[in-house]
Amino acid sequence: MDSNKKYWKGLEELNKTPEFVEKNKHEFAEPIPIEDVLTGGGLAGTTPRRDFLKALGFGVGAVTLAACQKVPVHKSIPYLIKPEEVTPGVANYYVSTYEGSAILVKTREGRPIKIEGNPNDILAKGGLSGQAQASVLDLYDSNRLKNPMRDGSDYGWGQTDGFIKSELAAIKAGGKKIRIVSSTITSPSTLAVIADFITAFPNSKHISYDAVSYTGIIQANQNSFNKAVLPHYNFDKADVIVSFGADFLGTWISPTEFIRQYVQNRNNKSLQAKKMSRHIQFETGMSITGSNADVRILIKPSEEGIALVNLYNALSGTTLPGSKKLANNPNADKAIAIVAKELTAAKGKALVVAGSNDVATQVLVNAINSLLGSYGTTIDLDNPSHQYSGNDAELVEFTKEMSRGEVDAVFFLNANPVYDYYNSKDITEGLKKVRLKVSFADHMDETASACNIVAPNSYYLESWGDDNAIEGYYTIIQPAINPVYDTRQAEHSLMIWGNNPGKDYYTYIRNNWDKNLLAKGGLSGQKGWETLLQTGFVKATPVTSGTYTFGHDLNAVAQTILDHSNLLAADAGKVELQLYQTVAMRDGKRANNPWLQEMPDPVSKVTWDNFAAMSPSDMKKWGYADGDVIKIDANGYTISLPVLVQPGQTQGTISVAVGYGRTLSGPVGDNVGQNAYPFHSLRNGTFQTSAVATITATGNNSPLSQTQTHHSIEGRNSIIKEATFTEYLKNPSTGSGNESGHKDYNENNLFWQEYDHPQYNWVMAIDLNACTGCGACVVACSAENNVPVVGKAEVGRRREMHWIRIDRYYSFNDDGNGGVTRERELSKLEDLDNVRVVYQPMLCQHCDHAPCETVCPVLATVHSSEGLNHMAYNRCVGTRYCANNCPYKVRRFNWFNYWNDSRFENYLQNDHTLLVLNPDVVTRFRGVMEKCSMCIQRIQAGKLKAKIEKRAVKDGDIKVACQQTCPANAIVFGNANDPNSEVSKALKSERTYYVLEELNTQPGVGYQVKVRNISETEA
Amino acid sequence: MRSFSLIFKQFSRSVLLIAGFAFLVSSAYAQGDATKGEALFKANCTTCHKIDIRLVGPALGPTISSETDDKWLTKWIENNQALIAAHDKKATDIYNQYNQSNMTVFAQLSDGDVANIIAYVRADWKTEQAAKPTTPVGPAVETGPSSLVIWALLGVIILAFIIILVLNKVVTTLERLLLKNKDILITEEEIELVTVDRFATVKRLAKNKKFVFFVLLCGTLALGSWTWVTMWTTNVHQGYQPVQPIKFPHDLHAGAMQINCQYCHSGAYKSKNASIPSLNVCMNCHKTVKTESPEIHKIYDALGYDPTTQKYDADKARPIQWIRIHNLPDLVYFNHSQHVVAGKQKCQTCHGPVETMKEVYQYSPLTMKWCIQCHKRTKVDFKDNAYYTQMQAVHDLIKEGKPVTVAQMGGIECGKCHY
Repeated sequence: MDSNKKYWKGLEELNKTPEFVEKNKHEFAEPIPIEDVLTGGGLAGTTPRRDFLKALGFGVGAVTLAACQKVPVHKSIPYLIKPEEVTPGVANYYVSTYEGSAILVKTREGRPIKIEGNPNDILAKGGLSGQAQASVLDLYDSNRLKNPMRDGSDYGWGQTDGFIKSELAAIKAGGKKIRIVSSTITSPSTLAVIADFITAFPNSKHISYDAVSYTGIIQANQNSFNKAVLPHYNFDKADVIVSFGADFLGTWISPTEFIRQYVQNRNNKSLQAKKMSRHIQFETGMSITGSNADVRILIKPSEEGIALVNLYNALSGTTLPGSKKLANNPNADKAIAIVAKELTAAKGKALVVAGSNDVATQVLVNAINSLLGSYGTTIDLDNPSHQYSGNDAELVEFTKEMSRGEVDAVFFLNANPVYDYYNSKDITEGLKKVRLKVSFADHMDETASACNIVAPNSYYLESWGDDNAIEGYYTIIQPAINPVYDTRQAEHSLMIWGNNPGKDYYTYIRNNWDKNLLAKGGLSGQKGWETLLQTGFVKATPVTSGTYTFGHDLNAVAQTILDHSNLLAADAGKVELQLYQTVAMRDGKRANNPWLQEMPDPVSKVTWDNFAAMSPSDMKKWGYADGDVIKIDANGYTISLPVLVQPGQTQGTISVAVGYGRTLSGPVGDNVGQNAYPFHSLRNGTFQTSAVATITATGNNSPLSQTQTHHSIEGRNSIIKEATFTEYLKNPSTGSGNESGHKDYNENNLFWQEYDHPQYNWVMAIDLNACTGCGACVVACSAENNVPVVGKAEVGRRREMHWIRIDRYYSFNDDGNGGVTRERELSKLEDLDNVRVVYQPMLCQHCDHAPCETVCPVLATVHSSEGLNHMAYNRCVGTRYCANNCPYKVRRFNWFNYWNDSRFENYLQNDHTLLVLNPDVVTRFRGVMEKCSMCIQRIQAGKLKAKIEKRAVKDGDIKVACQQTCPANAIVFGNANDPNSEVSKALKSERTYYVLEELNTQPGVGYQVKVRNISETEA
Repeated sequence: MRSFSLIFKQFSRSVLLIAGFAFLVSSAYAQGDATKGEALFKANCTTCHKIDIRLVGPALGPTISSETDDKWLTKWIENNQALIAAHDKKATDIYNQYNQSNMTVFAQLSDGDVANIIAYVRADWKTEQAAKPTTPVGPAVETGPSSLVIWALLGVIILAFIIILVLNKVVTTLERLLLKNKDILITEEEIELVTVDRFATVKRLAKNKKFVFFVLLCGTLALGSWTWVTMWTTNVHQGYQPVQPIKFPHDLHAGAMQINCQYCHSGAYKSKNASIPSLNVCMNCHKTVKTESPEIHKIYDALGYDPTTQKYDADKARPIQWIRIHNLPDLVYFNHSQHVVAGKQKCQTCHGPVETMKEVYQYSPLTMKWCIQCHKRTKVDFKDNAYYTQMQAVHDLIKEGKPVTVAQMGGIECGKCHY
């Protein structure tokens, strides 16, 4: 039975706007300008014959000249003295750390070309975020500072050291304050260096703050349990997860780790054990976490606190002062009652999290978790997370100190407050009164340009270092390349300026590990150090996580929350503004990374921009259309942003992403979007992420480059398949179309040639229930396969080159009456709030009956005996027939020579960034088609390795790039000829279905039905 | 016969006795036998020493010649460690001067042997010194054509000028004569008549349609086949033999010296690149072998290596830019280890008889046709390789007694090389 539920990719498709219908009739969104060429005087001109002869003559001449050079001379330059560990053509892997997660750095001939997860990492177990994947490109960023600078001009390291040392001596004598401002530092050795510096200059202090702050949680834990820490959450131990605006699968604290934990209770394995966690999300804007939730309840920022108070009341049976019904949101009220019941039932296996940075709100959340017995099970306060430890109040105090003229020296380490502090004027004005301003930034960023000395820090891939993301887990950072530019590690600089007796930072780390850290993992001495450089981390035995009971009075807390809510409630004619981070850009530190800019946002599918997300009914109310630029005014700050219709956005609110609008990040990131940080405000000592805003139309329209509507699903209903958990328990094959046995579409095959797969049959299984849509695979694929970046304008023309995309489908909640028709759905358009989302990674399906193969006139795309659909670029003449005939729309056409066309600021064109290319994969020329090759270079390498080692290829030997990076392990790749391989087992699951199976394309990629844990009463 | 052999025995014994006595006497006076010394020197010392230049240890010629205390020398050579241990000043000085690297202890050498070596070294150094003034010091420097050649060339050019002038004069005189004599003009007219006749034949032939057709056909065929061949061989550089910056003779190394290809091209075993050896591989041998050759000095220059002090100066180092001979286009992936290790192919299969090449040239056409042909013909050696155990289809073929080629294993599918 096929579902008749309707899915749609964007509102254009749902509404069938005439423009959309017209565009989708054609293969390409914009017609090819043949008319212009034909009418542009070319044929009607007076001397076409002469022009023809000229062109002919030139052509013949050019070809003759080109043919004169007999052999192009290629130089081959060997090493003078080859390092022992380097073999040209063979990759070396080095353990290192990215944001607390152990990683492997793949280097070729000494240059890092890819970041891969360390399978033994205890946080993500080999998964990596898109940001981590993209971080390798920043190493070669040619806009990084190439040497120290003083007042904007080059300055040597010797001069810098002399200048700073003499200044520091004078400042020390003067007795004024020295401040080191940084974002959270998780490295024990860096912290030790800073502590040493403070010992040398006792009037100095280390101030740590985070652009997106978690001070609220830390402060709340201090108030509740006398522990000023960020707890370590265990989503894998929670059966019921309730989140109030915490985007823990996208951006909150440690998303890659949380994805792994979260999916453990929802993936195929868990379902087969008849177990699935339940996740209820209360939120304002549609986040990646909300879109994955079983139930998503819309609340305004002003309602969040009250909803939590109500939840506490329902759980505890008491009534806190100020608790009231949510008058305008009966849905949420109803939901809270149900949620309370479910949470009580799951006591000890429940978890409530909130994204708010408000101390009172977080204290209340602590009280709720204490009621639920979460401490010691789902929340671990004894092995806390160190990932964020910034203190908002300290930074505010620092700005005051500066304005009072008390500060004589300031050092900025990995901090850019001029960009991301809500009141950056305080910083710029204050800095003018500071005598010595030093930034360690590796770019001339907003803060660095306000400093008189910039002492560029080396990139993490060029550095020694260590990290301690969660208590007891110590990881090492080792350089994978010598510094590309004349940079120096900030720690080393601080050691020199602080007259540290340590020789250099490497020795310092060695000593620190020898003395304090190696022993934690049972290692010691030189041998222990060498083991560490192989394994990448040490793990101390974790402390038993204790239970904590909340025992404070909540009346004052509830009153604060109520006041807070009243402040945030917008009057008529205003909207509530919510600030959030996008999965791709996060806090904006990597704004100059083109891979991240071009990675579509998981939910909105917007690239290269931030925008104001608004609910469809509000759009109608305000009379806006997609891309209309509106002026947003809040907290005394105004920006203009295009508005985007976002189904699932709470009515009366808009959401704006921070991390955009950099002005000095480099040519890629500058002036992409608008800076939303100044919308933050300070309340009760912490930064608040919501505000009341006035919006006005500007009359301009600035179209956003979205990838969501680039293909139509043509009303087909065999692309996405869904089931509820209750249905699944009754019949595991519900929704897959195999309820009454698998239908063989190949029965009456007349014209498809059948292929043998005598050795291997490479296939893939993708679990839609595990995939969270985070998009890490998109970046990993770009890095592995040298996929070009095309820029905003080209994405707008539907010419993005990604080999794998995450399709995001919306559907309405089925109201249980069945028989959903288009008319009924359209009637619901008034209220497009209650939508559900399914993510589907879409890549070349490597069909056995490939429609692309049959139409290629030059046999450039052909089938292999291993079940793959090969694409020979050098044979392709660019007819694009294959793309036209592909039902999955996964083929990408090279409209330009992205690697040498000056119209594109492409990373492939730069001599530095070019070094990131994978030498095992060619770059493609203009006019050829390309598509997912199932990482054939990895398949071939895996087979060769087995052949040389004289053994059979083992299952799991070969991992494709998207599979390898997936934190959710949603993608399984392997040999279907081996009945015991993981992929064979996965494909045998009852939930398996093939997209557009009825076309009898016999795809090689199987998907597993999305299951939602919805109780029947809610459905 | 017996008596003869007896006499011979006695005679030889007495000769040996005398020789032995003489040897004892001579050794007592430290007068060694240079010829014996040469053999001993070559067997024991050449690993670390040369007569004329410093190697691991000092240049022995000057050192030993200037050293007068032969007793001390003998002690040093037989057991230098003992001298150093006894804090002998001279010994510790040398020890420190040469980076405190221990010299081997030659306990097996008798005093006589050492004396022979010393004698040889001194004699050899003497002859070398004597020969020195005539031989240039250091590597031969290319000075270009000698001045003699340049003068000879100038002379030839001047001579040619004179000849041209003289001939010009003769021509003008002859022309003047011709103008005076009218008879010659008449003969010219006769010649013209003859040429008219020739054109007539051509015209007659042009009227013959069959002939014209034949000529045109031949022309078209010739041109066509030329075009065909040219197009086929465009960008096929078989036989390409560029001049390399260093005249590296493969025939000497791989041929005469029988050095395994992979000693230098070690990447061929484990990597897709066979790799051109880094210069430290060259230095494994050429630190001591043929150190005087100007070609070897190019290696030294590239490394910034000074053979007299044996020190490397990284600032002077500049890599050698070899010219690539085998250029596969970027669109094809080729892996050496796949062919050399997994496929057990000999280097010569593709690179030809490199061991006979003075300068390497491209032996194979490196066209796709050539690749595919080989993949179609080469039988897979599946013996003793567990990789092939899982492949049922291959087994079936083997059972039927049929050979399995690379192509049957999927070796001619596009994606196997193009990605």
